[in-house]
Amino acid sequence: MTNSQIQVNHLVKTYQVPVREGGLRAALRSFARRQYDTVEAVRDVSFSIEPGEIVGFIGPNGAGKTTTLKMLAGLLHPTSGEVRVADHVPWERRPEFLRTISMVLGNKSQLIWDIPALDTYRVLGEIYHLTSTAYQQQLDELVELLDMRELLTKPVRNLSLGERMKCELVAGLLHRPQVIFLDEPTLGLDISMQGRLRRFVLDYNQRHGATVILTSHYMADVVALCPRVMLIHHGRLLYDGGLADLAARLAPFKLIRVGLSNGHTDFSPPSGVEILQHEDDHLELRVARAAAPAIMAQLLNTLPVIDLVVEDPPIEAVIDQIYQEGAAVLKTAEPPTGASEEGAL
Amino acid sequence: MRYLRLIKYFMLSSAQADLAYRANFAIGLLNSLLNLIVGVLGLAVLFSQVNTLNGWTFASTLALLGVYLTISALRGWFIGPSLEVLAGIEGDVWSGRFDFTLLRPINTQFFVSVRQWNWFALIDLALGLGAIGVATVQSGGAQPLSFLVAATASVAVLYAILLIFTALVFWSPGLLFTWVFDAIMQLARYPIGIYPGWLQFVLTWIIPVAIMTTIPATALTGDIQPMSLMGGVALAVILFIAASVLFRLGVRRYNSASS
Repeated sequence: MTNSQIQVNHLVKTYQVPVREGGLRAALRSFARRQYDTVEAVRDVSFSIEPGEIVGFIGPNGAGKTTTLKMLAGLLHPTSGEVRVADHVPWERRPEFLRTISMVLGNKSQLIWDIPALDTYRVLGEIYHLTSTAYQQQLDELVELLDMRELLTKPVRNLSLGERMKCELVAGLLHRPQVIFLDEPTLGLDISMQGRLRRFVLDYNQRHGATVILTSHYMADVVALCPRVMLIHHGRLLYDGGLADLAARLAPFKLIRVGLSNGHTDFSPPSGVEILQHEDDHLELRVARAAAPAIMAQLLNTLPVIDLVVEDPPIEAVIDQIYQEGAAVLKTAEPPTGASEEGAL
Repeated sequence: MRYLRLIKYFMLSSAQADLAYRANFAIGLLNSLLNLIVGVLGLAVLFSQVNTLNGWTFASTLALLGVYLTISALRGWFIGPSLEVLAGIEGDVWSGRFDFTLLRPINTQFFVSVRQWNWFALIDLALGLGAIGVATVQSGGAQPLSFLVAATASVAVLYAILLIFTALVFWSPGLLFTWVFDAIMQLARYPIGIYPGWLQFVLTWIIPVAIMTTIPATALTGDIQPMSLMGGVALAVILFIAASVLFRLGVRRYNSASS
């Protein structure tokens, strides 16, 4: 085994889920004899993550993200495959392993609702067997980073969603885990709170070199935090690499917006240029990524250009394209790398 | 030692949660007093008519009531509240919050068994112990050592049965196991001597309510038989092990079935 913090080989998870049609009769029939469907939640996923990396785990609802995270955290047994996290087999759930990891879920609370968060932290400090100095020091640091001292003594049920999420993060990081699973930590939060939590995660990662896997449906989270993304769809890892490369592969073109000097409306496109919009003296063009520099030079030489902007297509649009169309998009874009790609979807 | 410290912290945080609901205290007190008064009054009325009931005197029946109230109080103090967190709709297993329990680096069975303490149950405990005290004085022939052993077996059986019902939650997350258990506990209110022979056997060894109340109560009045005491201890050990194994299987099932 290498010294990767997380090593996953050919991970598979299938479930048996009861199925039945609607209506009372079907309910009775299924009461007597259940019928099951096999759901392949995770299919032959392999990857490795180095210590200190922040990796974004993206994919549509039901793609297998949470199932994978739960296997990495030791909450689920895989159907087959190998996983090592911080040199442990997660589902053995050894105390040394559990002390090095943490999971923070945006839609579930690990705090006790009727008492202030500070009291939950004391219990957690004891559960994780922290010395009182370590407890105090780690708590102070987190409280400082999140700027939340005034929230410590309020009963959790009286907190707003954003305030509660800060408290959840402290609860999850109090024992200073080396591997952190963040499952939609910014779910339902307002823009400024999202930004604040992102900065916090980045700070924490830089201070302590913790490995972070983050799932989120907000691409802004992923763009801000994750140099590397893994894209999972129908249980398969479709892409593993840089976010910018993903965009380049999926959308191998650039958008060029050109403003021409007054009255100049004449334009005949050079070869390899697609006109998306042509309104009076404004042009919106789509060109192959590789050809973009040459075409820009040509435009500048031949036209009275007063304004020129080159853009990547928005990442949301790129991701949405995969969610809608699945693996086919990636396959037609370029030969896949790093992803397990047996069989079509 | 570490686990004792943990229990202390669980007790403290539960106390804080309890204190958030002050009205519950008054209602809890009222409920406990009513329970005791109804029990004692019933016995007083009964024994004003007869001196013994199938060999049970007022003192021995009061001892039984005391034991019943005491172990009910122990159940209400921490065993019940802790285990009930897992069960039912909105329970931890149903909602998936059990994930957080599994993430903690401590023994899972220990954690789910002692994490909630209902401090209002101490009123019940005081009343139950009071009844035991009065019965002991009245009967005059108590065997304290046998009582301690029998009482420990009693609590172990109570815990094991509750843990078994709790473990079933992993197979059927919406299951409200307390209903079944409450019905069983009602049988423990009365001395099993009043039932016919075959039912006595069932209530001692199959559904062991006798081990929970009757056997410790006989130790208080000096009527305990060594065989029942040893049998009770043996059954308590067996049930405890069986319940722990079932709980482990349940956790394993949760591991492989939940999503």
